[in-house]
Amino acid sequence: MLFNTIDFVIFLPIAIFLYYLIPQKYRWIMLLTASYYFYMSWKVEYIFLIAFSTLIDYSTGILMEKSSTKRKRRLLLILSLTTNLGLLFFFKYFNFAANNLNEFLDQFSVKQNVPLMSFLLPVGISFYTFQTLSYSIDVYYGHQKAEKHLGYFALYVSFFPQLVAGPIERFSKLTPQFKVKHVFTYDNLANGLRLILYGLFIKMVIADNLAMLVDEVYAAPENFSSFDIFKGLMLYSFQIYSDFYGYSIIAIGSAQLMGIKLMDNFRTPYLAKNISEFWQRWHISLSTWFRDYLYFPLGGNRVSKQRWIFNILIVFVVSGLWHGASWTFLIWGALFGIVYMIEHFFNKSIKITKEFKPYSFGHFALALKTFIIVTLIWVFFRSDSFESAMNIFKLLFENIGMSGAELVIPNFLIVFFSLFIISDLLLYNKRFDNWLGNFPVIGRWAVYGVLIFAIIVFAGVEDFPFIYFQF
Amino acid sequence: MLKKIFIRLIILATMLVVFNFIYGKWFYENDLKKHAKIINLVSVIPNNADIIYTGESSNITYREDDLDKRAISEFVGDFYPELNIDDITKPASHAGVYKKLLELIPQENHVETIVVTLNLRSFNAQWINSDLEAALQKSFVLIQPYPPLFNRFMLSFKNYDNRSEAMRSDDIHKKWSRDKFIMPGDFQFRNVIEWDYWMANNDMYDKVKSDLACHYIKTYGFQIDFENNPRIKDFDAIVALAKERNWNLVFHLLAENTQKADDLVGEDLIFMMNQNAEKLINYYEDKGVTVINNLNNVDDEQFIDQDWTTEHYAEKGRKIVAKNVAEGLKKWHIKDFKSVE
Repeated sequence: MLFNTIDFVIFLPIAIFLYYLIPQKYRWIMLLTASYYFYMSWKVEYIFLIAFSTLIDYSTGILMEKSSTKRKRRLLLILSLTTNLGLLFFFKYFNFAANNLNEFLDQFSVKQNVPLMSFLLPVGISFYTFQTLSYSIDVYYGHQKAEKHLGYFALYVSFFPQLVAGPIERFSKLTPQFKVKHVFTYDNLANGLRLILYGLFIKMVIADNLAMLVDEVYAAPENFSSFDIFKGLMLYSFQIYSDFYGYSIIAIGSAQLMGIKLMDNFRTPYLAKNISEFWQRWHISLSTWFRDYLYFPLGGNRVSKQRWIFNILIVFVVSGLWHGASWTFLIWGALFGIVYMIEHFFNKSIKITKEFKPYSFGHFALALKTFIIVTLIWVFFRSDSFESAMNIFKLLFENIGMSGAELVIPNFLIVFFSLFIISDLLLYNKRFDNWLGNFPVIGRWAVYGVLIFAIIVFAGVEDFPFIYFQF
Repeated sequence: MLKKIFIRLIILATMLVVFNFIYGKWFYENDLKKHAKIINLVSVIPNNADIIYTGESSNITYREDDLDKRAISEFVGDFYPELNIDDITKPASHAGVYKKLLELIPQENHVETIVVTLNLRSFNAQWINSDLEAALQKSFVLIQPYPPLFNRFMLSFKNYDNRSEAMRSDDIHKKWSRDKFIMPGDFQFRNVIEWDYWMANNDMYDKVKSDLACHYIKTYGFQIDFENNPRIKDFDAIVALAKERNWNLVFHLLAENTQKADDLVGEDLIFMMNQNAEKLINYYEDKGVTVINNLNNVDDEQFIDQDWTTEHYAEKGRKIVAKNVAEGLKKWHIKDFKSVE
C-alpha cells in the first residue's frame, strides 16, 4: 500500500478513527494490526520475516538484560546481528554476491555457478532491520532497557507510517510515545494534514512529473545535448529529493495525526554549504544511525588521521551498499566519502564556510557548488550500471553544442517546480507545518487550495513508486 | 473543536465543487485526449452499426506478403454486404476491457449483434497478471460516470491495478505452483513449474526450441477454474450486459497453433487446450451465447509469429476464421448472408 494510492487514502482515516476510539490500553493492538495489514498488502508471506525478526530481537533483548556475564551478552548480540543481517543479506545481497563470485570463478574457467535466487525483495527490509539492530545494540551497551511487552516491541518494529521507508526511529524515542495516552487535538490534526498534503504534492506533482523527464534522459542520453543531459541530471537531484522528502513528511504527518512525533528526515539539504552539512540534512535518520552505530564504534574522529580517513570511507561505502546491492551504489557512497574528505581538508586550511550567514551570496555560492557535486554523484545512484553512468559523463562532454532532442519541461511543471524551490528556500531550518501554521487564515487556505488542486489535477499518471521503497 | 472542523469541511467541500467546475471546463477534455484515448475506439462506431466485432490484435494483424491485408471483421463483412459491420480493436486486450468498451456504446446505437473474441490465452496466469494491464485499466479511470474531478482524483491516486512488475511476476509463479493439474491418466507433472522445469532441462531440443516449448507450456498449460478465474467473471458480465441491452451475443473462440503445440509439447497440452475450449463452449452455450469454435481451424504455417504464441493469422487463416464467424452469424442474419468464394 503506497501513500499515494487510494488504498492509503481509505486506510489512514479508518486507522486514525479507530486509534482514538479505542482505549489507550488496547491501542497497541489496533496499531499493530493496522501495521501488519499495511505491510501484508505487499506480500502476505513477508510478515513472517518481520514477526521472526521481532521475536529474535525481543528475546535477545530480554536475555541480554538478564545475562550476568559480558560473554553471554555478546553472544546474544551476535545472534541478533547475524539473524537480522543474515536476512538482509539473503534477500538483498545474495544475488549480488553470487553474481560477483560467478564472474570471479569464470576468470579461472571454473564453471561451477552459484545459483541465483528469484524472489521479491521484502519492502522496507533495510529500514526495519536497522531499526531493530539499533535496539539490540542499545540494550547490549546498557543504553536501553529491554522491552518486556512483546506487543509494544512488535509495534516499534512495524509502526506503519515509517515501516517501509523510515524515518529509522530509535526505540527510546518512539516506543514511549505508544505508551502515553494521546488525545485528539486540532493542532495535531492540522499539522499532520499539512505535512501529508505537502508530501503528496511534492511526490505526486513534482517527483512523478520530473521522473518522466529524467527517464527520457537516462533511457537515451545520446539523443540529448550536453546542456539537456545536465538539465536531466539536475532534475533527478530534485526528483529523488522530492520523492523521498515527500514520503518522509507523509510518514511524519500520518504519525502526527495520532499524536506521535517522528524525527525529521530532511532539512533543505540542497542549501547545504558542503557535503558534511548535506549529510546532516539529507536522510537524517540514516546518517545519524551510521554515526551512532558504525562511525563512533569505529573510533569516530578520536583516532589517527589515517584511521579517521578509513572510518569515513567505510561509513560512506556501507551507506552506499545499504541503498542497494550493486557496484554503482558502492561507488556512489565512496565518492561521497572522498569528496567529504577533500572538502574537510580544504575547508580546514581555508576556513571558508563559517563566515557566511544564511541567504548571503556566499551561502548560495557554496550551496550551488555542493548541489552540483551531489548532482554529479547521483549519476551513479540513478544509473543501472557503472558503464551507463560513465556513458552519461562521456556524453556530457561529447554532446556540447549538439542539436539533439530537447528536454521540454511542461509549463505547469515550471510553475509548481518554481513554487517548490521557493518554499524550500523559505523553509531553511523550518518545518513546513509550523511555517504554514503561521500564515494568516486566508493565505493558509489559498496554499491548501493550490496544493489540493495540483495534487488532483497535475499529479503524474505514470507509476513511479517511491524510490526508497526498493531499499 | 468539532464546530471548527465542521466549518473547515464545508470550506473544503465548496472548494472541491469550484475545482470540479474549473477542471471540467478547462482541463478535463485535454486529460481525456491524453489518458483515455481508448474512448475513441467506441466514439467512432456509427449509430447504424448492425454488428460490432470486438477483439484484440488478432483482428487486424497481417503478413506483409498477404495479398489482402484486411481485418477479420472486414472479411466477415464480405458475407453480409448489406450490413454495417464495425469493429472495436484494442491490441493486448481481453474480456475485462471489452466489457468496459461495450458499456460505452450509447443506448441510441442500434447495433443488433456483438461478436467478442474468446481468447484461450487470456485465461492464463501470465495474461491475467500481465504488466500491460495497468495501462489498460488506467485508460478507463477518467471515463467513469462520476464528476470529472473525482475521476481525476482516482487517476492521480492510482485507483487501478498498479502492481509492480516484480509483484506480477511473483503472482504468476505462485499461480503456476498452486494450480495442480487434474488429468485422466498418469501425468508426471503436478503443475506448470514442474512441467516447464522438465522441458527446460531435458535434451529433447536445442535451446531455442526448448525455450519455445517451455513458452507453450506456460501459455496453455492450465485448466480453467470457473469459480475464480477473473476472465470468466468478465465474460459473464458481457453476457449480462448483452441481455440488458438486448444484443445477440457471439463469442469467437480464436484459433491457436495447436499443431505447433502438439509438435513441441505433445498430446497432454492439446488435451488441456481442447478441454478448456470444450468447457468454455458448454458453459457459455448454456447461458444462451453462440460460441464459434475456431480453436483447431488454422494451420501452423498460417500463424505469423512462429516463435511465440499469438493469434496473428496470415490471409488464409483470417479468411478461414472469418468464414466460420460469418456462418455463426447466420442464426440472426441469414437473410443478409451471401456466399463468398
